[in-house]
Amino acid sequence: MHDPLLTVEDLQTHFFTEDGVVRAVDGISFDVAPGEIVGLVGESGAGKSVAVRSILRLVEDPGRIVGGEVRFRDQTLVGFEDDATAADTAGDDRSDDPGDEPGSQPGRPVPRPEMLSESAMRQRIRGNEIAIIFQDPMESLNPVYTVGGQLREFIELNRDLSGRAAREAAVEMLREVNIPDAERRYEDHPHEFSGGMRQRVLIAMALACEPSLIIADEPTTALDVTVEGAILDLVRDLQERYGTSFVWVTHDMGVVAEICDRVNVMYLGEIVEQAGVDELFHDTKHPYTQALLNSIPRPDETVEQLDPIAGVMPEAIDPPAGCRFHTRCPDAREVCTRRNPPCRTVVADGRPHRAACLKHESAFPEADYWASRPIGNLERPAPDARGDGDE
Amino acid sequence: MTVAGHTSDPESGADAGRGDVLAPGRDEGRTERERREDVEARYGWRYTLGQLRRDPTAAAGLVVVGLVTLVAAVAWVDAVLFDFLAEFGVFAGLGVEQYALAKAVWTSPVAEPAGTPRLLPPVGLENQFGEGTLAHPLGTDHRGRDILLRLVYGSRVAIQVGFVAAVVGMLGGTVVGAVSGYYGGRVDDVLMRFVETLYSIPFLVLVLSLVAVLGARENLTIIMFVVGVVYVPEFARLIRSRVFSVREEVYVEAARAAGVSTPAIIRRHVIPNSITPVLVQGTLRVGTAILTVAGLSFLGFGVNPPTPSWGRMLSISRDYMIQNVWFSIWPGLAILITVVGFNLFGDGLRDALDPRLKN
Ligand SMILES: Nc1ncnc2c1ncn2[C@@H]1O[C@H](COP(=O)(O)OP(=O)(O)O)[C@@H](O)[C@H]1O
Ligand code: SF4
Ligand SMILES: [Mg+2]
Repeated sequence: MHDPLLTVEDLQTHFFTEDGVVRAVDGISFDVAPGEIVGLVGESGAGKSVAVRSILRLVEDPGRIVGGEVRFRDQTLVGFEDDATAADTAGDDRSDDPGDEPGSQPGRPVPRPEMLSESAMRQRIRGNEIAIIFQDPMESLNPVYTVGGQLREFIELNRDLSGRAAREAAVEMLREVNIPDAERRYEDHPHEFSGGMRQRVLIAMALACEPSLIIADEPTTALDVTVEGAILDLVRDLQERYGTSFVWVTHDMGVVAEICDRVNVMYLGEIVEQAGVDELFHDTKHPYTQALLNSIPRPDETVEQLDPIAGVMPEAIDPPAGCRFHTRCPDAREVCTRRNPPCRTVVADGRPHRAACLKHESAFPEADYWASRPIGNLERPAPDARGDGDE
Repeated sequence: MTVAGHTSDPESGADAGRGDVLAPGRDEGRTERERREDVEARYGWRYTLGQLRRDPTAAAGLVVVGLVTLVAAVAWVDAVLFDFLAEFGVFAGLGVEQYALAKAVWTSPVAEPAGTPRLLPPVGLENQFGEGTLAHPLGTDHRGRDILLRLVYGSRVAIQVGFVAAVVGMLGGTVVGAVSGYYGGRVDDVLMRFVETLYSIPFLVLVLSLVAVLGARENLTIIMFVVGVVYVPEFARLIRSRVFSVREEVYVEAARAAGVSTPAIIRRHVIPNSITPVLVQGTLRVGTAILTVAGLSFLGFGVNPPTPSWGRMLSISRDYMIQNVWFSIWPGLAILITVVGFNLFGDGLRDALDPRLKN
């Protein structure tokens, strides 16, 4: 097995709000091999955006990375000392910083010496090694500058080019993402572009510095289906030519099927299943993944035949005890309300297929799932269920 | 669609089954075109100029502002730039000196011409000193100088003061407000406390005491900077509230994610997108600054005689009201028209740039 390009280990990002601690990302681990498109899929609110922002350390107040590790090649983007926190390290200059909101905050974790500084992140990682594309192409470009100008600024910032050379590189990138009439479109402002064209511009911007990894946070969610298809085709084509790795965030299993090599399914801040795309679709191991798959519309089905997941995802500020999915899981048993299964290998050949579900006795023998009493979520819809679609 | 145009309502019709559960909160109710028009409404300069032309009061304001500024610019070249250049042999050799232009066309605005009657009325009128003539269409002042010429040269003081004060206020306010708003937290607390303190002191009191402290009774440069500094708080507050929303924009986050440094983000992304209300307010403040400095001249602060300024003309003419009331009326009118011009223009600009602010 090759060395991964990106490794995320037990990453935790919490938001310290007035109402309490929101555990938006609560201990996720995955990696990305060179040239691979890795999906991060889950419902809205699962923590996908927070997770990918954490990789680049872009989380803003009141959010904070509180633990775990992110390594990129041999560089540590996120890494903390094991259990020491600033609060109990006497004399640490952070602890006498009175700027924090009063009360309720645990001590900050202490960064390890090899963790990159903020300026190193800015100069070497963000935009150069790892680029990110955000969801809303309508709002990711600054309305006051021309599209070409923004692309050029980005190239000047991250590559050793300026003036005409940078301009030419920018036009070249616009051509590369199949924007017709690139030379002329260079001078247009963002509002003169359609959503799909803007998303192409953003992809051009992400690719401009030939990063090894592009993080795409639901880049096609705001687009309509045909435009989405064209963008996915473009990305696949570019991926083949540039060999760039992708972390592809989406809530749409259809997109996953089309573009990803491997998939991480996220639910309420945790990864519940991790597998190659074929294994995930044909040998689904987690009931939540199954529910997501059941909700993909197929051409031969009408909307009524869809099988949406019962209930709504609970709030990350107050996740259910035990398995976080047990309030909506059709297979939930009594033991699920007590134990929160970590993600463990359930099929070992090749790259491991992992799942966080007690059903898999071989991986979770201690839980004794099959001896436990079913709690019958199917007959008794969750109290706050919105989608009672199948009656 | 119930509410036409800009308000979005996330109705998701057809894919409700899936949408309820899986679709993230995005505004599907809005068509691409509506969103584009909305953006265009806020950022198109052509649109702005079109709106201005359609608004007659704003257009009148624009004409006044343009004319007065043009006259002032010529006067500035003749009075200030030529004076400066005359120090260099090359230019002096070419005959460049202060008021060279005025002298070439007519006569120096500061010289006291022998033999011209003082306090003449405008052409066509008559008073105890004589009959108004076409040679002095608006009449003459207490030293027999032509009032029209003095008005023309006084305009450069007014415009210079107005622009410098407004620009100082805008620059200072923009930097303070943008930094304060972008960083938030303690930086914001400190800067805003300072700003509020300045803001709580009555305007004229603050100006007068600063001018007095700086010993700048007759130093126009210091006076206009002081007026500008006193404007800083209001500009700072204006832009800060805007920055609070702009810093949350996706393109700001995208810039951070691309490795752009914070100062560059403030300069390139935050300020350009927050500056509109500052420009509008700045236009209005040019007028107020002119009025303030005219008021200060009335109190004896301002340019040295014999440099012509509207405020000084007004102040001196008090003593000659009975003999020639026109000596007072003309500079008063000049100030009035200019200030009203800037106000109309600024109001029109505001309406054109942001139709939602119209009241
Ligand atoms: N600024 C914030 N303050 C408090 N909670 C936040 C903030 N940003 C995100 N969250 C919480 O983090 C969780 C995950 O959000 P997000 O990563 O945006 O979800 P996804 O991208 O999967 O739709 C949500 O429960 C959300 O409420
Ligand atoms: S552990 Fe239990 S509740 Fe959780 S997914 Fe598996 S069966 Fe469902
Ligand atoms: Mg998201």
